[in-house]
Amino acid sequence: MSKVGQWIDKRTGISGPVRSFLNYPVPKYVHNNLLYTLGGLTAISFGLQVITGIMLTFYFDPSTEGAYNSVDYITYTLPLGWLVRGLHHYGASAMVILVALHMLRTYFFSAYKKPREINWLTGVLLLFLTLAFGFTGYLLPWDQKGYWATRVGTSIAGSVPLIGATIANIMRGGAELGQSTLTRFFATHVMLLPATLALLIGVHIFQLRYHGMAPAITEKAKAQSKSFVPFFPYWVVNDAIAGLGLLALLVYISATQRAPLEFPADPTSSNFIPRPEWYFLFYYQILKYFPGGLEPVATVLIPLFIFGSMILLPFIDRGEERRPWKKPVTTIAAIFYIVVIIIFTVLAG
Amino acid sequence: MSDTQLPALPLEKGAWDEKELSRRKFLEITFWAVSGITAVGLLGTGARFLVGNSLEPTTSSWVELGKVAELPKGAVNRVNYAMKAKDAWREVTQRGALYAFSADGANYTVLDGTCTHLGCIVQWDSAENQFRCPCHSARFTREGVVVDGPPPKPLRSLQTKVENGVLMAQI
Repeated sequence: MSKVGQWIDKRTGISGPVRSFLNYPVPKYVHNNLLYTLGGLTAISFGLQVITGIMLTFYFDPSTEGAYNSVDYITYTLPLGWLVRGLHHYGASAMVILVALHMLRTYFFSAYKKPREINWLTGVLLLFLTLAFGFTGYLLPWDQKGYWATRVGTSIAGSVPLIGATIANIMRGGAELGQSTLTRFFATHVMLLPATLALLIGVHIFQLRYHGMAPAITEKAKAQSKSFVPFFPYWVVNDAIAGLGLLALLVYISATQRAPLEFPADPTSSNFIPRPEWYFLFYYQILKYFPGGLEPVATVLIPLFIFGSMILLPFIDRGEERRPWKKPVTTIAAIFYIVVIIIFTVLAG
Repeated sequence: MSDTQLPALPLEKGAWDEKELSRRKFLEITFWAVSGITAVGLLGTGARFLVGNSLEPTTSSWVELGKVAELPKGAVNRVNYAMKAKDAWREVTQRGALYAFSADGANYTVLDGTCTHLGCIVQWDSAENQFRCPCHSARFTREGVVVDGPPPKPLRSLQTKVENGVLMAQI
């Protein structure tokens, strides 16, 4: 260690934990499989959202009077505003996709089994929080798309039996969408959710480090499970290359398709057809099939079932078998979920 | 906590103070009790702050929809209204869409154009003689009764009056 390093280490004691973190042994079957970069890539995409989000708050006005104009200014007038907003807008979709892919990889590799149940549960919570980020962020430009998607979204919450009206009023800050809605969505999006997500990511990564990678499932991978490489630089390089690739893709998309901004929110508009962001479209479509008194089935039971099945998964599937081709029930269930989501998304489009 | 073993201190460092340790359990119980009460107090206060005025009942107001002479008899007329309202700390112009209909030019039905399913604004389909919601294809009669689709309730019918030849509705 250099003299400066020694001076810092004597006063902070940091070299031990840092060395331990960087030299963490990663099994070779993990290092050789790009699917294992999905978790790191998700964390990188969150980091990108935090950085671009902080930059946007330097110019964003969270008032119903100023929100739209400030976003218009960022997008069309501010130097490189189109880039920062584009990275944030398309980065949000990228984050949802990456969380889903990472979750699928974990699911199919049965990495939720004992003793990793808590890590799976924190992951499910992280998915839920990521969707909450999308829901709260969508309103902030106060354009037609955000306004009407939120109006529909809060109405869905309002349809919960007994307590729905109270929930919807608290979400909106009143009986109608307005200034109170915008500021509480802004505070949630910019302060509450990032702090909670960062904390949960810390728990999630700590759990991963504590238990190590889940056992290999293929014979080829098992043959490499006693051979290790250090986390830095081997795995970090994998994640860095993937992260740079993601950044390049987002920059390209932001440059060729400016982040959209509809007309300013108009509560009297009957021509604008509300649509949620693409990752909620399947659910929006499902709502059509539950009329009248059956509405709570769609607004309460279906979400409860989806999240409930995710949360209970490690406690239902407790067998030793991890190979997806030897677990037809869980494999077919996942494929069914994926197909249903794709079909209903396409139908809604 | 107080039943967990304290780690032994290096000899050159010193030793745990036995006299102080006799109060360890009492201090831990006091700490958790005070922390618990404080946490409940803070959470309760915080929750009340965050809920704010969001659960206060809304006050209703009469809004002008237009001169009755300008609202054709027998036709469903879409009327946009605007009124001064308080939105949190702001004075704003609250806007909305209503539908007004009268068969005889004397008695008016005014419906809130907000679909009772998920809050989209319905459109009047004069060819079908029905209201249609563009979101999930709900249909309502001229009187706001649900004909088809997912809405659980009819369109909200508002109280109306005519003052000085101006149709008014209570929002």
